[in-house]
Amino acid sequence: MRRRDPAPRPLSARLLVIGVAVVAMLGAIVAVERLTNRAPATAEQPDAFLALPQEPIAYEADVFLTHEATIDGPDVRRRASAHPRSLATYRRLRAFPGAPPRVPHGLTSAELRATTCNTCHERGGYSQRFGAYAPLTPHPELPACLQCHVVDAVVTGTSLPIAPDDRCRQCHAPGMQASSAPALDWESAPWPQVRRPAIEGDPPPIPHHLEFRGNCLACHMGPNAVAEIRTTHPERTSCRQCHVRLDDAVPEYVRPAVAVRAGSGGAP
Amino acid sequence: MHRDLPCGMDATMSALDRRTFLKRMAVAAAAGAVATPREDGATARAPDEAQAGVTWNKAPCVLCGVGCGLLVGIQKGRAVGVRGDPDSPVSRGLACAKGYHSVQTLYGRDRITRALVRQNGTLAAVPLDQALDLVARRLRETIDRHGRNSVGIYGSAEWTIPDAYVAAKFCRGALGTHHLDTSARLFTASAAAGLDSTFGGRGPVGSYDDIDHADVFVLWNVNLAETDPVLFSRMLTRKRRNPAVRIIELATRTTRTSYASDLSLIFKPQTELAIANALSQEIVARDAANHDFIDQHVAFKRGKTGIGYGLNDDLAVDGDGVDASWNDYKAFLAAYTPERAQQLSGVSADSIRFLASLYADRSRKVMTAWGDAVNQHVRGTWLNNLLYNVHLLTGKIASPGNAALCLTGQPGTGIAYSAGAEAGSLPRGATQHEEDRQRAARIWGVPADRIEPQAGPTALQMFRALERGDIRMLWIQRTNPMAALPDQARYARAAAREDRFIVVSEAYPTATTDVADIVLPGALWIERDGIVVNAEGRPQHFAQMVPPPADAASDAWLMIEVARRLGHGALFPWQRPQLVEQIWEEYRKFTPEADQQVPSFTDLRVQAGVTRPAVQRYSAPADPAADRARGAFDFYGHADHRAWIWMRLFEPAAESPDREYPFWFTTGSVLEHWGTGTLTRRVPALHRAVPSAYLEINRDDARSLGIANRDTVRVVSRRGSIEIEARIDFRGQPPRGLVFAPAFDEAHPVARLLLDAVCPISGQPEARCAVRVERLTPRGQV
Repeated sequence: MRRRDPAPRPLSARLLVIGVAVVAMLGAIVAVERLTNRAPATAEQPDAFLALPQEPIAYEADVFLTHEATIDGPDVRRRASAHPRSLATYRRLRAFPGAPPRVPHGLTSAELRATTCNTCHERGGYSQRFGAYAPLTPHPELPACLQCHVVDAVVTGTSLPIAPDDRCRQCHAPGMQASSAPALDWESAPWPQVRRPAIEGDPPPIPHHLEFRGNCLACHMGPNAVAEIRTTHPERTSCRQCHVRLDDAVPEYVRPAVAVRAGSGGAP
Repeated sequence: MHRDLPCGMDATMSALDRRTFLKRMAVAAAAGAVATPREDGATARAPDEAQAGVTWNKAPCVLCGVGCGLLVGIQKGRAVGVRGDPDSPVSRGLACAKGYHSVQTLYGRDRITRALVRQNGTLAAVPLDQALDLVARRLRETIDRHGRNSVGIYGSAEWTIPDAYVAAKFCRGALGTHHLDTSARLFTASAAAGLDSTFGGRGPVGSYDDIDHADVFVLWNVNLAETDPVLFSRMLTRKRRNPAVRIIELATRTTRTSYASDLSLIFKPQTELAIANALSQEIVARDAANHDFIDQHVAFKRGKTGIGYGLNDDLAVDGDGVDASWNDYKAFLAAYTPERAQQLSGVSADSIRFLASLYADRSRKVMTAWGDAVNQHVRGTWLNNLLYNVHLLTGKIASPGNAALCLTGQPGTGIAYSAGAEAGSLPRGATQHEEDRQRAARIWGVPADRIEPQAGPTALQMFRALERGDIRMLWIQRTNPMAALPDQARYARAAAREDRFIVVSEAYPTATTDVADIVLPGALWIERDGIVVNAEGRPQHFAQMVPPPADAASDAWLMIEVARRLGHGALFPWQRPQLVEQIWEEYRKFTPEADQQVPSFTDLRVQAGVTRPAVQRYSAPADPAADRARGAFDFYGHADHRAWIWMRLFEPAAESPDREYPFWFTTGSVLEHWGTGTLTRRVPALHRAVPSAYLEINRDDARSLGIANRDTVRVVSRRGSIEIEARIDFRGQPPRGLVFAPAFDEAHPVARLLLDAVCPISGQPEARCAVRVERLTPRGQV
């Protein structure tokens, strides 16, 4: 006998669940905001948030860095990106896993000086200028972007596009992919591979380190995300509730035998 | 950014809206993530579960003087990746583009892996032993024929302490030559001389920790966003946490740093002396000097004037420092009103008064920072003195957030001096001091008269000696003077003379290996053990992680091998792999046991850098060397236990623009490259970011010369010329009358333009001169 698939939940019901979750979340945010907004900090007196960095738990809060973008998320139905990101393009921009990616597009001279990257990369969304969705930065709190992310010289100091075709040359300038660098005898560290979870169906563990990449949704959510690693459930913003990092260097737990008492333990 | 206009200083935070709240939360969380050691195992120095077989070990980055802590991923004997070390108190997990790509500097395909000997005009590979035999034989022959001072070593600002210590022992203890100096002379000598004259000691008066406490940052002619990017980020973090923090920049051109500043004051080159004196004058005029501090901890000195520019080795600086009084100092300052400083510098008197008010405000902690550009000045030592003056006048020094710190661009900051490889130095001493010579001779086991008693020639003097023929054989180690020395063509010609013998130890072909008779293959960074010291005086150890390619070896080892061939093996009984530890233990003998400034090797190996005695040098509660009986501070470097405020005049540059050469030319760094690009140009991402040097020129100047963006122009000085691409409104925006080109590109040797004038006190060369710009390929008007 063929088993019947359960009836799919109606769209309206799913939207209702999502809506309730979003409203509850916003309510919580507003409540906390009001609590913290009673006495605006003055210039001379640092506000209470400055206490947070001392708390180890703050690291976990990276997960929520661009939560706001999740809430206000870009309208994914509006456009098709001319440049969907893939693992191949992701890796091409990095010297090794964890290396800061090169900037793959042109910057005007003013952008090069004033480092206005967060204008697009803090919240993401569709960029007319490049015909693509802007990837979110996982660390918008670090505004000196060009400290780590370098721009190819051939697209440095470009002009803003005027005609539609000009926007292509923002990235695809002649010589952009040509390598004039001296040859390098380089072998990268292996790229992280997603492991099969210990139990089928369990959430897969996190396969990469998290320094400056603790904000999961920045890379794993929405149309700007790398296609192969895009999450199917961005609405569950507490990613590390289920996805954990494993460390093979840590040996399995073995409780050490401790002799607490001498003698025969009361046995006759 | 506001240019040359005092900004509103009463900004307060507005009520938090939802967006602000979220941003703050994010910022706080992320800052916490940076500041707090992470506990999820992500940074464990252990194999990474996702990258099987990759192990991570700590090493300081050596591609500038900040000394960021890195974790280097090693797999199968090769470096395969880099992460910031969250346990590093210097960088707290962050790095810059150079640091993240640093491991790739090891793997350029044109790496020098074998010894090369010039035969019939070309360099041919020979076994390393054969090349070392030849070096030893030529040293012996040259000394026999021309005397012991006919040979010398010009070392590197990249040297580790073991390299520098071995060089000192080899030159002063074994060969007996006084020709030993390093390329740190081109970057930090004036800072060292400034510390010496103001505080009587070389230790920096401040640390990176001050960044986390300061309310005002005053950046003197340092493009911190590109020269010290990780510290720049730390400063921005400080500002974000406390919006009342202000960043004030004084600079000769607008840069990335300017855009992060609240106020950018653009001044005419060489006029900083007038501005600094005007700040002091304004503080005194406001009656804002801290008289309690001054009475207890400060003495006044009148400096010698008319000391020349060292163009003919005429370094007549004896007699500097005549005792003076507060009233003498007030009378001296009277000539430096803000209006006069405005006239000289172009910075408005209002801006100078405003900046002085920040120093004068007792409620604000002020950190002044500067870099190579302040030191590369014919009055660099004076300028260092004047920057300290402002802090000493207000008592804002040696306490958290109150600091004056030179942020130099070299990993070997202070190493050459402390290890005895700087001109005229011995390990923690000076050749001119009989006591220091006796101590060195005793520890080394050599006759005291083998150590030359006079102050040895500094870098530029050494190359002039090479030109004259006083030096016949020079061993240049891991530095590229043939691209970096001012009036570069002159010294390249001197080195290429037939009767000069040049040995170069280096990792890649450079303009200096081009003039070499012998090239020895140099090991880089984590291919050997080492200890470097960063700009805040923090020694950091790194262990060898990968084998050097083929015959490559550290400079320390190469010198030891040559010394053994010359019969000095008993002086160098050390063996690998304990070489660095054995050298360190001998080096520590130069420090009295009561002085805790040199940490143990065990501490160094385990910790991510060690600062001793304390980051707050001269602060009585924190610095164990300070005498608490003298109050909150003890400036024990001088015998009078006082810091000295110097009267230093404004004096003009050795060469200024005129009708024939109407532009100021300045040079410096870009974020992506370091030094002359020997290492960073091998990294594809960095090379592709800035593949060649360019000339920044003001838009109006370009228009008046008919120069369009990206035109090739010729830049001409009295020494020579280069042809280079002009860029308008590019990375930096110079004011009218000034052009800038970075110095990393051998193909555009900007040093060829520079005048080889020096600060006569420090011997550090100038890095500005007068040029004219000629149009070569006109393509229309801008």
